[in-house]
Amino acid sequence: MKRALVVVAGALALPAPAWAHATLTSAVPDVQGRVDALPRAAVLSFNERLAAAATRIEVRSAAGRPVSGTTRVRGGVASTPLRGLRRGGYTVRWRALGADGHVTSGVFTFGYRAAAPQPTEAYGAVGPGLSDDLARWGYFAAFALLLGGLGFRLLVVRGEAAAAYERRFYRVVGLGAVAALQLGLLVFLLRADDALQLPFARFLYGDVSPFAEETRFGKAFVVMSLGYTVVAALVFVAWLLERTAFLWAAFLLGLALLSGLSLSGHSAAASGSSAVSELVDWIHVSAACLWLGGVVQLALCVWPASPELRRVAFLRFSQLAMVLVAVLVAAGLYLSVLRLPSIDALWSEDYGRVLLVKLALVGAALSWGGFHHTFIRPRLLAGDTTSRGRTLLAEGATGMAVLLAAAVLVNSAPPSEPSTTTPAAGARSPR
Amino acid sequence: MSPPPEHVHWLFATGFLFLGLCLVAESVVGRDVWRRRRWRAYLWPGLVLALGILIMPLSVFYTASTLHMLAHWSWAQVAMLMGAAQLGLVHGRLRNRLWELTVPVALVVTGAGLLVHEQRDWLYSRAAFLHHLTGWVLILGALFPLAGVMRPSWRVPAFGYAATMVLLAVLLFADRDVAPIFGHLSPLAGTPHR
Repeated sequence: MKRALVVVAGALALPAPAWAHATLTSAVPDVQGRVDALPRAAVLSFNERLAAAATRIEVRSAAGRPVSGTTRVRGGVASTPLRGLRRGGYTVRWRALGADGHVTSGVFTFGYRAAAPQPTEAYGAVGPGLSDDLARWGYFAAFALLLGGLGFRLLVVRGEAAAAYERRFYRVVGLGAVAALQLGLLVFLLRADDALQLPFARFLYGDVSPFAEETRFGKAFVVMSLGYTVVAALVFVAWLLERTAFLWAAFLLGLALLSGLSLSGHSAAASGSSAVSELVDWIHVSAACLWLGGVVQLALCVWPASPELRRVAFLRFSQLAMVLVAVLVAAGLYLSVLRLPSIDALWSEDYGRVLLVKLALVGAALSWGGFHHTFIRPRLLAGDTTSRGRTLLAEGATGMAVLLAAAVLVNSAPPSEPSTTTPAAGARSPR
Repeated sequence: MSPPPEHVHWLFATGFLFLGLCLVAESVVGRDVWRRRRWRAYLWPGLVLALGILIMPLSVFYTASTLHMLAHWSWAQVAMLMGAAQLGLVHGRLRNRLWELTVPVALVVTGAGLLVHEQRDWLYSRAAFLHHLTGWVLILGALFPLAGVMRPSWRVPAFGYAATMVLLAVLLFADRDVAPIFGHLSPLAGTPHR
């Protein structure tokens, strides 16, 4: 016991600092940097001493040609000579064995007399794959539940609402808020994993900072994670204090933060992108969330829990939905024209084919909307509120299928995407 | 651009110390006396929620490893859940006392996260030692609020929970390596970085 106490006291008293496992602190050439003078070596500095045994630096050109030599380790610095560099983008993959025996890994890019490729376009990066698509689908659905639910509550239900409806409303919106945060993290990590290409155990020690700090996608993830935490807190306070003013704040902030998707997607980076395309994309995504989230609210909250609200909510929402769908379709057409180089790209390119599937699903969802407008609306106007909500569920399910197609579309490269940087070969999507 | 990690740890240590002292005061005078002023009932649950929200930036700004990021993310989430559930109970929006279980759950998840994200042995370094110690303190400390759920009238769990939070604050204050009176045991841990 005494000995244990001495050890504990020693652990707290002996001087000399240490960080966690080996972490990259600086690099030459710089992470995501551009160099115009021919670099003779890649030098990576770490926060702690490295063991030479399994520390490796590998540098490859965009075509996958190795340009690095043997890795040398001195203290916390690992280096490798570079030879045969030509103008273009390069990928640096590193693995560092800390003196404690733990291996950390990372990847970054630099450009020699050219802009550096995105880390997600590093040589050897793959994807996005099925898991990315499914995660992004859930991410979109979460925004629909959250923002569409808030919009429905504030613009359609308005004012006081029955307690049964309120309970369901907060469950659905709360689920959306939680899912938006968790799936945002999942989408980010899957994207980083696509580039790092590490087994799971080593991915846990993968350096994801180049993706969080050097990509639009990563920056959007950071801002949206923090912003939607505040949105979730506002929804919670609204529930706690029963004050809809907080819902307004959450709704407006959430809609503004949704622009993170547009500012980090095709509308910001692909061919023909501009401030206008980013704005139109944000309008497109916002309208889709409000429409689908509204349908979900009707099907899951109003219909089963609050029959007295059915008539007024349906009639108000049908007016709002017409505007939303018109905006949605107009913005979608503009973006399609912008991203497709020609009409035949619709069937000759993967991106175009996915877009066709999405358009077909949108058509199916609109057909359900037309059915409701034609058959359910007159009955409600006549005071008959006994209709069952199954068709609303069908419209909601079709809308969710649209979101799946949208997720695949977002993860696919548009056919005319230009090379503003020098993307590394082997970094292309399998689609 | 990011503040040094020790500043962040000390900031949160201050928050948990305040939380612990609130709980000590509540356990000494009893819940009824503590809640005579309405705002005091909201004090520590609100503080836990705020601490959870404040941990979120750590998870997205300190991304040197996935594990580090996931650990901070999970701590933020469970702290927010715990604070929100307690606020719901205090305000009367939640009536089922099983929501009290969010406190032991949050402590166990946080403790497990600390143990998983520290891959080194107990005696490798001071930070490693404190991570292990903090992890086990939180996991074992979760027994107090758990007992409190089962026997609300019993004062011992309240004292134990309060003591756990004060101890957590002390451990967080000691957690970083730059203070000259602290250090680590293994020469493998490298040279001072500052």
